[in-house]
Amino acid sequence: MKILIQQIITGISIGSVYALIASGYALVYSLLDFSNWAHGEVCMLGAYVCFMATTVNNMPYWLSCVLGIGGAAVISFLNEKIAYRKIRNNGSPNMFLMIAAMGLSTTYQNLANVIWGSKFKQLPKIFSVGTINFDGIYIGTTDMLCLGLSAVALVILLLIINKSKFGLHVRAVACSSRTAGLLGVKIDRVIAVVFMLAGALAGLAGIMYGMKYNIYPTMGNVGLKAFIASVIGGLGSVPGAIAGAVLLGLIETVVSGYISSGLRDLISFCLLILILLVRPSGLFGVDVQEKA
Amino acid sequence: MSEPILEMRGVEKRFGGVRAIDEFSLKVEPGMVYGLIGPNGAGKTTIFNTITGIYHVDAGKILFQGKDITKVEPHQAARLGIARTFQNIRLFGNLSVKSNVEISCNMNAGYHLGDALLRTPRYRRVTKETEERAMEFLKIVGLADKGEERASSLPYGHQRKLEIARAMATNPKLLLLDEPAAGMNADESLELVEFIRELKERFQITILMIEHHMDVVTSLCDACTVLNFGKTLAAGTVEEIKKNPEVIAAYLGGDE
Amino acid sequence: MLNSFQEGVLIICCVNMIAVLGMSVLTGFTRLFSFGNAGFMSIGAYAAAICSVEYHMPFVVSILIGAAAAGAVSYVLGSLTIRLRGDYFLISCLGFGECVRVLFNYTKNITGGANGYSNIPYKTTGIVAVICTVLAFIIAWNFIHSRYGQALSAIRENELAAAANGINVVRYKKMSFVFSAIYAGWAGGLYAHYLRFITPTLFNLGKSSELVITTVLGGLGSLTGSVLGTIIVQILPEIFRSMSEYRMLFYGIAVVLMILLRPDGLYGYREFSLKRLIARITNPGKSKTAKEQK
Repeated sequence: MKILIQQIITGISIGSVYALIASGYALVYSLLDFSNWAHGEVCMLGAYVCFMATTVNNMPYWLSCVLGIGGAAVISFLNEKIAYRKIRNNGSPNMFLMIAAMGLSTTYQNLANVIWGSKFKQLPKIFSVGTINFDGIYIGTTDMLCLGLSAVALVILLLIINKSKFGLHVRAVACSSRTAGLLGVKIDRVIAVVFMLAGALAGLAGIMYGMKYNIYPTMGNVGLKAFIASVIGGLGSVPGAIAGAVLLGLIETVVSGYISSGLRDLISFCLLILILLVRPSGLFGVDVQEKA
Repeated sequence: MSEPILEMRGVEKRFGGVRAIDEFSLKVEPGMVYGLIGPNGAGKTTIFNTITGIYHVDAGKILFQGKDITKVEPHQAARLGIARTFQNIRLFGNLSVKSNVEISCNMNAGYHLGDALLRTPRYRRVTKETEERAMEFLKIVGLADKGEERASSLPYGHQRKLEIARAMATNPKLLLLDEPAAGMNADESLELVEFIRELKERFQITILMIEHHMDVVTSLCDACTVLNFGKTLAAGTVEEIKKNPEVIAAYLGGDE
Repeated sequence: MLNSFQEGVLIICCVNMIAVLGMSVLTGFTRLFSFGNAGFMSIGAYAAAICSVEYHMPFVVSILIGAAAAGAVSYVLGSLTIRLRGDYFLISCLGFGECVRVLFNYTKNITGGANGYSNIPYKTTGIVAVICTVLAFIIAWNFIHSRYGQALSAIRENELAAAANGINVVRYKKMSFVFSAIYAGWAGGLYAHYLRFITPTLFNLGKSSELVITTVLGGLGSLTGSVLGTIIVQILPEIFRSMSEYRMLFYGIAVVLMILLRPDGLYGYREFSLKRLIARITNPGKSKTAKEQK
């Protein structure tokens, strides 16, 4: 029982990291109707920025983290500014956005490989103690940090989207960018800020992942897990993405703990298919029917 | 009178809480040109979508030649002999004009995958027949010389005609036309009326059409139904409809 | 004739070309994206290798079984997922590809797990690879130019209109999916009998993306474009060997630049024609104006 509780907490913790990335997918999808494949790489680059700042340039850790988050936000913004916006303005089909994102993803991944090599790097841990004992339940300090920070970040994100004026604009553009534009919402600016926000969350996720595990050029593939999470939750739904991410994190740890860590991804995938068979648009997605 | 070619009984279709069509019934006799008119958002296109299986109804029954087609899929509806055009033209834009029609002709093409991969004599024969058939339909709509052009490069009027040719190439018994005269001026509408009349004579088909241009409806339709908010406001011959006070209030009398 | 290095490049190029031709049918002509085709490649590779090594089957039979196994799996997967829209379908393929890799890593008794599967006989010679590729091209060409291929293009252009004109959209999409999987399995089988030693990581997500990128670079909706794309992606880095480390980096950048600067290049829609090329060379002015008018 104690082990189960331990695993549930670890699961939620890893799920919360997925949730940071997944909510970025969901935000971008809700505005632009495409899956931003390069998002996982934004997360990876954020982690590398933090790593470079702290180990190579010997900056204070907190500053390195801020730089990592900021760097990820800037990269995400540049993706939008340089690539996606131009494609949108060309009036190209949505598929092109996805292909461009795929190209960016490949580019960043190989760029990181060329610059930093494929060796694993690790970010220093914040706490000197590895685990804390709560009455026989051992919980990793890094896990708790991840959980805490992610929760705070996600609550802030939800508050921004649901309560602020900017959030209203985001929801308006998500509903219908044309109508929102006619009503005076500056669409391109809203999109740009959303990309920055998503990038910052991805950067945070990258840093925490780097603290908990390692940093490597293909770590952007965590983004795939997050993407699966946002698909489970329903593309374009932020609460859905968070729920999907936590669910995925839980299942992964429980499967690793009780069945086999080798079969972890297999079982998450089967779950994905199962969910899509029952709900073709994910748990929280809306099934839109094409108008004839 | 003979058995109706199309019959809808108490059809209902909801989107969320909105009833797009409600208790809708319709009988179309073979050989008729039947008009569906009504203001925008009255549910006309939704009716087309339920007939062609794009939407499935929440209640009621649809019969085609006495056969229940309430639950068929779109491609099955086409195979049963129901062809349609779309309000916002839906061509295969990047394919050639000829391919657009050939694809419809293919519905009845008699060769199999093996024939295609090995290019058997049967494949060659059928492909040639299909091509000739497609060209025939293009001749009918006056696009024979444009066969190799990209469909999306055609001017608007020709795109409408191509869409009709494509629908006719499926060899339908019932043709559904969704606002065929949309965006046309008086002369063009007149030409369209002639064209549709010719089609009907030549192929002995029944036509159900959605149209806003009252002159087109008046000169073509044997009968029509007026819809408003998903419900039948009136039904009958065009002359009867024009005299119906409710219709005048809701639609014809408007400042269109 | 070719030395063994050149023959190796040729074989790798041919193997990839077969897999890319399959992708081309799926992505270029049907507009379905799959980031899981490396998974089908590995199914073909392992099935063919096991047939050769364990059951001593003739090479041709092993390859056929490999391709058929990939096709059968794709049929089952497609039956479950082909109705999913856009990105939902894509992620299911991606997940599938990763799962196959995990599964082959896990089934050590059969596949040797992460240590790989070895002692596969060397059967894929340059001649075999070229013959297979030509055959694959002819079959794909005939498929695309038949009513089946036309139906796929119609679905790509407008799904609703395709259905309204009698095309069973689900059935044809599934056919396209199975077609691409059979090609991937075919390529995988040949690949195994060239390398003689295969591991699950050969067929990872990176491989799937490479197939998609090659197809995109070659131009969507053009089989000849896919052939050209494969030659560029596979052979160029061999010519500039010192730069092979940057290979995927360049292709990533190339995709982004192409989409930004020449998005029309992505729409192949035109097959390479010798006649047109000659016409353009002998009469450059005329064909240029014709193009501009368009």
